[in-house]
Amino acid sequence: MSVGYVSVQWNRHKRIYDACVAGGIVLYLGVFFAAGKALYTGRNAISGEILAMRALATCAFLMLNVILCIGPLARLDRRFLPLLYNRRHLGVATFLVALAHAAIAIGFYHGFGNVNPFVALLTSNTNFTSLSAFPYQTLGLFALLILFLMAATSHDFWLKNLGAPAWKRLHMLVYIAYGLLVMHVALGILQTQRSPWLASLVGVGVVIVATLHLIAGQRERRHDERGSQLSPRAGEEWVDVGAVDDIADQRGSTVTVGAGERIALFRYNGCVSATTNVCAHQGGPLGEGKIIDGCITCPWHGWQYRPADGRSPPPFAEKIHTYRVRVVGRRIQVDPTPLPPGTAVEPARVEEVQSA
Amino acid sequence: MPETNEFYVGYLKSPRTLTVFLGWAIPSLIVAALAIGWLVSRSQNDPGDGVWHHEANTLVGRVGATPYPLIRVPSKSPGHAAETVLLVSEGKHGGGERVAALDGRIVRVRGTILERDSCRLLELAHGDAVKPDDSLTAADTGRLAAPIIVALGEVTLRGEIIDPKCYSGAMKPGEGKTHKECATLCISGGIPPMFVTIDAAGRRSYYLLTDPDGRALTGGALHDGLLPFVADVVEIRGTLERRDDLQVLRVDLKSIRRL
Ligand code: HEM
Ligand code: FES
Repeated sequence: MSVGYVSVQWNRHKRIYDACVAGGIVLYLGVFFAAGKALYTGRNAISGEILAMRALATCAFLMLNVILCIGPLARLDRRFLPLLYNRRHLGVATFLVALAHAAIAIGFYHGFGNVNPFVALLTSNTNFTSLSAFPYQTLGLFALLILFLMAATSHDFWLKNLGAPAWKRLHMLVYIAYGLLVMHVALGILQTQRSPWLASLVGVGVVIVATLHLIAGQRERRHDERGSQLSPRAGEEWVDVGAVDDIADQRGSTVTVGAGERIALFRYNGCVSATTNVCAHQGGPLGEGKIIDGCITCPWHGWQYRPADGRSPPPFAEKIHTYRVRVVGRRIQVDPTPLPPGTAVEPARVEEVQSA
Repeated sequence: MPETNEFYVGYLKSPRTLTVFLGWAIPSLIVAALAIGWLVSRSQNDPGDGVWHHEANTLVGRVGATPYPLIRVPSKSPGHAAETVLLVSEGKHGGGERVAALDGRIVRVRGTILERDSCRLLELAHGDAVKPDDSLTAADTGRLAAPIIVALGEVTLRGEIIDPKCYSGAMKPGEGKTHKECATLCISGGIPPMFVTIDAAGRRSYYLLTDPDGRALTGGALHDGLLPFVADVVEIRGTLERRDDLQVLRVDLKSIRRL
């Protein structure tokens, strides 16, 4: 959380995560390179530089596919949340691997000539109107710039300074980068490669990424549609949003009322509280979180808020919207008008109502 | 929702069931990635059998500056009086200025040989790599007097415009779409443009490309007429002739089209 900015906040999980990422990258590059050296030998050996360029390229592209799958996977199955926890390191690592790929490409394919390599990258192929001759490397360049922008702004410092919505929008560019890279491959290597394997794998990757997003998106839409039928009865501000007993103790759930923001409900210590579902950090789904040490704990990176007033416990200073809530019988009712972030709301007592 | 204590917070100890899940999921992911790496690596194209002999070599013969820098050396094969070796410089540079002053003389050139099939080039060594020489026998000098030219008429060919330096072993692979920008740079840097065709049996034929007058392609003709088509699959028309062992195609630039 945001008390001063340490360059990166470390803990045991992040270290294990990063070790897996680094180890995976080294192993992948090693396997690709060694296989290339072992299978293409003698006069038919592939240049070491080109093998390295391809190993790095396919590694970065594979990592990008994994990154794009983590989000929807974590929404569909909470057990994938740990992969989301430190996803930004995976993103930065992807940028660095892609950068190494681009550096070799620029040095080897655009160097040694009578033109500056960076100028050559932009000028040696200008067949923008031909598909088969298209300058696919410029697509890679734009994708690399996006990955750079994302890696450079990945720290919470930028999240705070740009504001969560702008930051989120910036990081949505990853889908454009992905599209550019699919074309970088399709209009580049796939124009000459005789074996169908790479083309098939890229296709499978695109299908998996798209399908996971569709399924996760559809689930949320269905949830919201159910909510959109909820609305206050005429002349009343309270909306019935479900039964207390549908929420496990120390847990949350999510509802949508009308066209409003999603609302997170929490049941803890005989109380019910309601806050926005949107975490102040990166918009994680608080309703899928848990009450730990009396605080709502975000499932994504563990930011915490007190359920009664939507404020992070000191020394932190984050605030989220709260909602008025009451319990009638065993039913929960909320007033769907969000209160200003950090507004204290008396939690609804479950037992009291029961005994009344 | 049933109560489970499976809740992951990065800075707290993970629940055991989650640790077990991740304990197989993450290694499986890495193993799958390694399998993909191996599969993609083994499905790369064969880069061809071009080879760059890195040991220093010398050739003695008659040097020519037109249409492109080359040296004609006495042939060892009975079919031809002379064999042709193209001369290029280091990196993506042609041999141009380095042979111009000695055009037509018998010289000794020093450098390294690149070869693929019948296509041979010599990359001139640093410094004084082209020097006048008188070690050839009178008979050999006579055989190199003038190239034997045979006109072969109009042809239409399908294949790829290459930079012969990379194609013959400077880069493996040095052909096709991924090599397009590099080949463009090589040719604009003075490496002679060549054309390769592959017949049904997989045999490659090489053609040196010149303008319709048999001179080097340069300037606008090169940059606007030829370079946009480098490394693409194209059809090309021109007038073919054989000079000693070399096939030279005088290209009608307007005829080039992508297939
Ligand atoms: C300035 C930026 C870039 C340049 C100049 C560039 C250049 C190239 C070149 C020349 C190739 C063909 C290599 C060959 O097979 O001979 C290639 C292939 C490829 N690039 Fe890039 N690239 C850039 C950015 C990226 C980025 C950001 C990625 C991200 C993951 C990427 C992924 C790939 C992939 C997956 C391939 C196909 C691999 C293969 O050749 O087997 N490239 N790129
Ligand atoms: S989104 Fe990061 S902690 Fe909530």
